[in-house]
Amino acid sequence: MELLSPVWPAATTPRPAKKRPASLGGASIALVDDNLDIPFTTHLEMLLTERLGAKVRRLVKPSGTAPSPPSLIDDAAGHDVAVVGIGL
Amino acid sequence: MDLVSERLNVDDYDEAVELFYQRRWTDGLPIVLPTRRRVEAMIAAVKRDPQESLGPVPPKGGPATIEKLAINAVMGGCLPEHFPVVIAAMQAMMEPAHNLNGVLQTTHMCVSLVIVNGPVARRLGFNSRDGVFGNGYRANAAVGRAVRLALWNLGGAFPWDTDKATLSHPGEYAFCIAEEEEDNPWRPLHVERGCPEGSDAVTVFACEAPHSVFCYGTPEEMLHVLADSMCSLGNNNVHVLGQTLVTLNPLNAEEFARRGWSKPDIRQYLWEHARRPLAQVRACGVVHEQFRRMERDAGRYPHRYDVDNPTTRLPVTPTPDDIHIVVAGGRSYFAAVLPGWGGFGGFAVTRRIEWSS
Repeated sequence: MELLSPVWPAATTPRPAKKRPASLGGASIALVDDNLDIPFTTHLEMLLTERLGAKVRRLVKPSGTAPSPPSLIDDAAGHDVAVVGIGL
Repeated sequence: MDLVSERLNVDDYDEAVELFYQRRWTDGLPIVLPTRRRVEAMIAAVKRDPQESLGPVPPKGGPATIEKLAINAVMGGCLPEHFPVVIAAMQAMMEPAHNLNGVLQTTHMCVSLVIVNGPVARRLGFNSRDGVFGNGYRANAAVGRAVRLALWNLGGAFPWDTDKATLSHPGEYAFCIAEEEEDNPWRPLHVERGCPEGSDAVTVFACEAPHSVFCYGTPEEMLHVLADSMCSLGNNNVHVLGQTLVTLNPLNAEEFARRGWSKPDIRQYLWEHARRPLAQVRACGVVHEQFRRMERDAGRYPHRYDVDNPTTRLPVTPTPDDIHIVVAGGRSYFAAVLPGWGGFGGFAVTRRIEWSS
């Protein structure tokens, strides 16, 4: 008996991760603000900047419940480190 | 017919069902086997290119081609004549306003309900009367399950993985009703939402499972109970607005209409009375408050609401039109409220069902 598969074959191949920086001091960090917990994100930004000396760029998602637009993902990928989500 | 899906050779039904379990291609229940003959019959019923895609299904983005949808519709128990309803439901769910990506992955328990309207409901045997949210009707069960299987196999949001629903609800297996249009004094849902009289359509809305409302008596008495049920402190609407659904049974609707109440009248009344004083809502905690401020900052509260004034009575939706009303069920004492996800999405989207000539 011949049946048809209900799924697509896995098409993605994992990309190698960027090399982790030895320290966050002076690192460029993309902080993706998912627009759900703004006070927490602001506090995190302050800690990263003032305590660790990181250069933080805050990228605000239009919605915390939808994927980031491709342009935002590209922007985040250009940094040494990216914080891409904060769970409540 | 040119089909591109991987072909699987199995010896018998038992082996096939176990294979689908092993590969995690089913929702936990056995399936109807997607043989080429059945899948081709499904596609022939809509006369569309099997490789036409409705778009990527979130979160993993598998294309919702007519072929893949047909395979999943067979698995769910659909007949070919059900397939246009499945396609319309998928198209509606994939509209941005529904935010399917969020609905499928949120920690909230909402599931996209499919509401069928138009002559198609009677013609294909959808239940709109007694036990409407329950079992026993092939059209409701098969269309409902086909949609869920398509989301499962193409979107790939699995529990304990990217489907983060804390509890979810049984509508994850199938969540499909029809509106009762004959025993109903008002215009049906899809006509209210812009479809022509006599047309066929589906409306999708992401919501909790139905919550029973003991709803019998005068319009004022029924509204009193409905309003209270809609604004329980545990539901998202109280904290982050969004949309909500009220299901009235035909006897409820008849009584309202007999006393001169239209659906807009009911919406307005419920919007004004299904409210909680801010002081009570504040007592729920700081996280709730933060979400409420987010709604305010996003401009979703009407400007006249002072969300810092403890005497303010907060509505459950931004406007009366965000309270959806459907007539369904038996002629009895019970209605239902189905709160939504909140302001994050899952909003109602209506889509005409396209029939091939």
